[in-house]
Amino acid sequence: MKILVTGATGFIGRQLCLKLAQAGNHVIALCRNTQHPYLIPHANIAPIKGDILDTASLKAAIQDCDQVYHTAAMAKMWCRNPNEFYDTNVTGTINVMEAAKAAGIKRIVYTSTCGVWGPTLKHPMTEDDPRVVGFPIAYERTKYLAELEVNKFVANGLDVVTVNPSRVFGEGPVTDSNSVSKMVGGYLKGKWRIIPGDGSQISNYAYLDDVVDGHILSMEKGLTGNRYILGGEDKSFDEFFATLKEVSGKELGMIKVPQKVIKFYSRIEALKSQLTGLAPFFLPEFADRINFNQKYSSQKAIDHLGYRITPFAEGMKRTVNFLRNNAN
Amino acid sequence: MKPLLTAIVTGASEGLGKAFSVELARRGINLLMVSLPGTGLNHLSTYLQKSFDVKADYLELDLTLQESYTGIFDYLKQNNTTAHILINNVGLGNWDWFIDKSTAFYKTQLELNVMTPVMLTRVFLGQVDDSVTSYILNVGSLGGLFVVPKKATYGASKAFIAYFTKCMQLELHGRNVKMSLLSPGGINTKPELLVMNQKLKGIAAATIFEAEDVARIAIDGLFKGKKEIVPGAANKFLVTLNGLLPAFIKNAIVKRKLKDHG
Repeated sequence: MKILVTGATGFIGRQLCLKLAQAGNHVIALCRNTQHPYLIPHANIAPIKGDILDTASLKAAIQDCDQVYHTAAMAKMWCRNPNEFYDTNVTGTINVMEAAKAAGIKRIVYTSTCGVWGPTLKHPMTEDDPRVVGFPIAYERTKYLAELEVNKFVANGLDVVTVNPSRVFGEGPVTDSNSVSKMVGGYLKGKWRIIPGDGSQISNYAYLDDVVDGHILSMEKGLTGNRYILGGEDKSFDEFFATLKEVSGKELGMIKVPQKVIKFYSRIEALKSQLTGLAPFFLPEFADRINFNQKYSSQKAIDHLGYRITPFAEGMKRTVNFLRNNAN
Repeated sequence: MKPLLTAIVTGASEGLGKAFSVELARRGINLLMVSLPGTGLNHLSTYLQKSFDVKADYLELDLTLQESYTGIFDYLKQNNTTAHILINNVGLGNWDWFIDKSTAFYKTQLELNVMTPVMLTRVFLGQVDDSVTSYILNVGSLGGLFVVPKKATYGASKAFIAYFTKCMQLELHGRNVKMSLLSPGGINTKPELLVMNQKLKGIAAATIFEAEDVARIAIDGLFKGKKEIVPGAANKFLVTLNGLLPAFIKNAIVKRKLKDHG
């Protein structure tokens, strides 16, 4: 099978390329730089230079493909040019859907995010639950808008299945858009000593290999137009760092920084970015999130797709080993 | 013990209406949410019932139809429920030159923005029990205060709501019913507004709020019996400024703005 993967150098995309290639598929890996260090070399992976914002390159890349995985996105916290979020996540997604439609692609799996639901009030969120707060975070806002665009293509007959990974961690490069790897990597080097808030804030942590399998399962068994949360276990910051301490055998004195302090600091950071154009370390809209949990249920994916969750401690152990062996 | 209150929220499926529903449920108030069929009220209802210990009923109705007004209260009667809170939220906004929209659009808009709140207020007041305090929140807009082009019918409908509310506040004097006017600036609700509001800067950006914040401020104000609720310092400033500036200066500003837009 010939399969196009957009975002092939991304945290999820690169691992997905490898898994598909190992299964004997011919993978077309769309990337802006075919020499990118995160691209995994494999006989079945053909890197092709292109950009989801360059429709001609998309058209060339998608030719003769049977399936498309659209994982490319702007997932950073901050961009110097704020329009980049909309361009990449919304316009880019429209471009991919249009190219797929024109090329007669059989099925597309679109990688969205649990961020389209955002914070949790009480119980873990499911696919049917409504969003109850606004969209101050650019990434979440544009991924939501992109889902609306995808829905229009589905209504017009395109076969798209959407997957919504939660906070993904695992064996992969430490990038700007992967906050978990940044925390774990920093902890192992003895540089990350902060627990945001009082440590009770709960997030859902999805192990990379599970998320990659979830993509492939969605391609095989997902229902057209449906969304599937691909998550892991809900863990508080306290539990997160306790597990990290246990599996790494490294004990650091951690400092709990109250949300209000982080919020104050984030305002200074936001002002700094506005004045200097330098990337902020943290932004106010993210500081606000420390007051909320982000719990998600993967039950629908488990029931419909046979999605499996690697225990958090096991995933963390493998991540720690990986980061130790690949320390730079 | 606090009596169990029931609130009617119109236009409850999206935007500010959804935020009102969440905010009221969070405060332990039972709901009757009303919106058009197929707008996801079933999911919202399930979600609110499992998240908060409240009843979250819903009716899928077209509020431009006469029978919908009585339908809401017939439903409550069948369930032996009296509504104590009415949130007149439903409304249809637009930003177009008057000539660019059809007569059908204006008919729907005026039905929803003008007729529906008036009719629901009438029926609501007919069933309230004066021994318990009742509340009515009418959603107006700062757009009802400023005369701006491309808002001819929307702004006029909100000016109607403002007048209606202020007049009713006088009439309701001495009765156990509190009525508030909510006059918000921009709210991040619909997808197209999410895109448009992002581009604003400075004071203009400061007038824009998230729906959940407006809902919280509005419900606080409603229970305190505030006559008019204007969320946000920037918006309050604009209201004050509007009262101070002479009309010819305001017109000059608007005309200059229009020139900028070509």
